[in-house]
Amino acid sequence: MTTSSPGTAAPVRPDQTRTSAPVLQVDGLVRAYGDLRAVDGVSLRVDPGETFGLLGPNGAGKTTTILMIAGLLRPDAGSVHVAGTDMAADPIRAKGHLGLVPQELAIYPELSARDNLRFFGRLQGLRGTRLKTRVEEVLELVGLEDRSKKPSKTFSGGMKRRLNIGIGLLHEPTLLILDEPTVGVDPQSRHAILESVATLTDAGMAVLYTTHYMEEAERLCDRIAVMDEGRVQAQGTRDELVELVGDADLVVLAGGGALEAAEAAVEVLPAVQRVTRDAEGLRLTVRGAPTAITGIVTAATDAGMSLHDVQITRPDLESVFLHLTGRALRD
Amino acid sequence: MRALLVLVAHDLRQHLRDRSMVLFAVVIPLALSAVFSLAFSGVDDPQLEPVTAAVSVPEGDEAAAAVPQTLAGLAEAGIDVTVLEVPADEVTAAVTSGQAQVGITLPQGYAAALADGTGATVEVEVGEDAGLAGQVVVGVVSSTVQAMGRDATAVAAGAELGLDGQQLEALVAQLSGGGSGAGGPSEAEASAADGAAGTAEGAEDGLATGGAAWTVRGVAGGQLSLSAGIVAGQAGMFLFFTVGFAVLTMLTEREWGTLARVRSAPIRPWLVPLAKAVVAVLLGTASTTVLLVAGSLFLENVAFGSWPVVLVLVVAVVAAATSVMALILKLAGTAEQASLMLSVVAISLGVVGGTFFRVPTRGSWARCSRSTRSRRSAAG
Ligand SMILES: Nc1ncnc2c1ncn2[C@@H]1O[C@H](COP(=O)(O)OP(=O)(O)OP(=O)(O)O)[C@@H](O)[C@H]1O
Ligand SMILES: [Mg+2]
Repeated sequence: MTTSSPGTAAPVRPDQTRTSAPVLQVDGLVRAYGDLRAVDGVSLRVDPGETFGLLGPNGAGKTTTILMIAGLLRPDAGSVHVAGTDMAADPIRAKGHLGLVPQELAIYPELSARDNLRFFGRLQGLRGTRLKTRVEEVLELVGLEDRSKKPSKTFSGGMKRRLNIGIGLLHEPTLLILDEPTVGVDPQSRHAILESVATLTDAGMAVLYTTHYMEEAERLCDRIAVMDEGRVQAQGTRDELVELVGDADLVVLAGGGALEAAEAAVEVLPAVQRVTRDAEGLRLTVRGAPTAITGIVTAATDAGMSLHDVQITRPDLESVFLHLTGRALRD
Repeated sequence: MRALLVLVAHDLRQHLRDRSMVLFAVVIPLALSAVFSLAFSGVDDPQLEPVTAAVSVPEGDEAAAAVPQTLAGLAEAGIDVTVLEVPADEVTAAVTSGQAQVGITLPQGYAAALADGTGATVEVEVGEDAGLAGQVVVGVVSSTVQAMGRDATAVAAGAELGLDGQQLEALVAQLSGGGSGAGGPSEAEASAADGAAGTAEGAEDGLATGGAAWTVRGVAGGQLSLSAGIVAGQAGMFLFFTVGFAVLTMLTEREWGTLARVRSAPIRPWLVPLAKAVVAVLLGTASTTVLLVAGSLFLENVAFGSWPVVLVLVVAVVAAATSVMALILKLAGTAEQASLMLSVVAISLGVVGGTFFRVPTRGSWARCSRSTRSRRSAAG
């Protein structure tokens, strides 16, 4: 089983012992706004050190779910347990394990990066030298040391985003919740943000990451829940999800010559499930295309086909989403 | 409670940083007091300079003699009038020379003319430097003469008795009540009545009712003077803006998104509004105190009584204002709605503001405890 995230392979920080108890356990969360059931029976589990993606289009209910997990919105039904503590029963204790990075910026524009960090650090109960060192560490992590004295309103959008994320990391939470942290950020800052999230998960922090960018989910997350219309449509590792659409790759052999003979030749290969022929060449549905591709190309050319181009398209979360909901992920 | 301190200190620092706290707590109150001192100096106790009236009375005319007697009676009422009895041909000279500010010539046969109803002309000359007191004298003379013309018998009787201060008041009150639309003279008479009462109370109430019905009351304990009332009223209104300003940061923080973030921290949720309220009380108390102190320094005649009592009162009122703000916050969805509501409340309070503070000194504690109680019920 392959994963697209470097997180799983990373060593776990020695002071954070992995236990089997989940960092986050969400059961049957429901929240309605009037007639609209924004969140309709969501259950999730995030294990220690894991990066969990909540993937869904605009209005899927991701933020609403996050708000309930963070104890900012009371669920109509269902429960949230953070590191074993019931959010409804002991919100202060449960919140102590969480670091929230809201979707919208949540920083004081008049305060400098350092003062923003200091204030939120104090609210999290940090003080003295620990507060000081953490503030400096986070400033370095989000790359704002040189701008730390300027009011944050003078920052660029990407810098504000990075500060926004930094505040959530300050107290080294057991679970960091990132709600679409890369929206409206240029590719460079986006890369920096994804890098720093990867660094954190390497360090053993569990992350709950919402996004509507499939690539981000694929790149970062160990496990992903595909969410639409308030429900989790499917959840699992990327490969488990992709298997839902049949784990079949699309191979396009473009070219001319003896197409009919080539079709007959590749059709008999065990990896090939289906072949269609058109004016430009052959389209094959293949199981495990990367390994089967040499055999396919050899068979086709041996049969007298002259190849111009070979394309392999692997199924991705986009096709998973299409498969699950009948809609494209993009807005 | 560390979290509360963190929140309060953070808010105060924020206000300090954008200079709004200094602006609201010190600069604006001082500026307001300066404006008040310009606008309202001399509103209290119209300053009546001594005035001399040169009066010529025909020999043996009892009715005519009532006029100088009436004027002399004004002295009792607090207006310094010197009556100079002169021959008829010297009245004008007395006025032009500045020896007298008002000259009054009662014609020969005045009493007879009144008795047979043919009417008589009383000449009144007013000198350039007559001032307000001179106007008062003119007003009193004209009303006395008119009253005589209306009821000669009464005047004769009055002349025999000599009108005393109280009767004069009644007379003037009757006249000014009847001729409220008459403008200038009626105002002068009003001042006379006020002078007769010898306190600022008359002027204060008079302004409040639009200058029409000037009632004269006895002095009732430690009421505030007019300026003090205005300063207190403005303080009441200003207080609301200050308190509102502090509490409205709650809405600003909602817009910044920081409110949700603060609430996601492991602190008790009610600490957040409590911290805002504490900041509001601190800021409101500071600014109101500055305004009241500055008012009593800049303006004469402004005194609020015992300072500790006033301070307690101010804190109680600030607390009440804070809870009204909390209510506004609850009702208003956006910062715009909230500031609109705030303005309405603040201006209404400014209008009735004086009432808030117009406290008899002895009754202060009763008032205080009442506002404290209303604060509790508003907060609960
Ligand atoms: N305060 C609210 N009042 C009414 N409806 C709301 C409210 N907040 C969210 N909704 C609705 O609930 C649904 C889910 O919203 P939510 O913000 O959770 O979506 P999301 O998955 O976070 O979307 P996005 O990717 O755009 O952030 C939407 O239809 C939204 O209109
Ligand atoms: Mg969202």
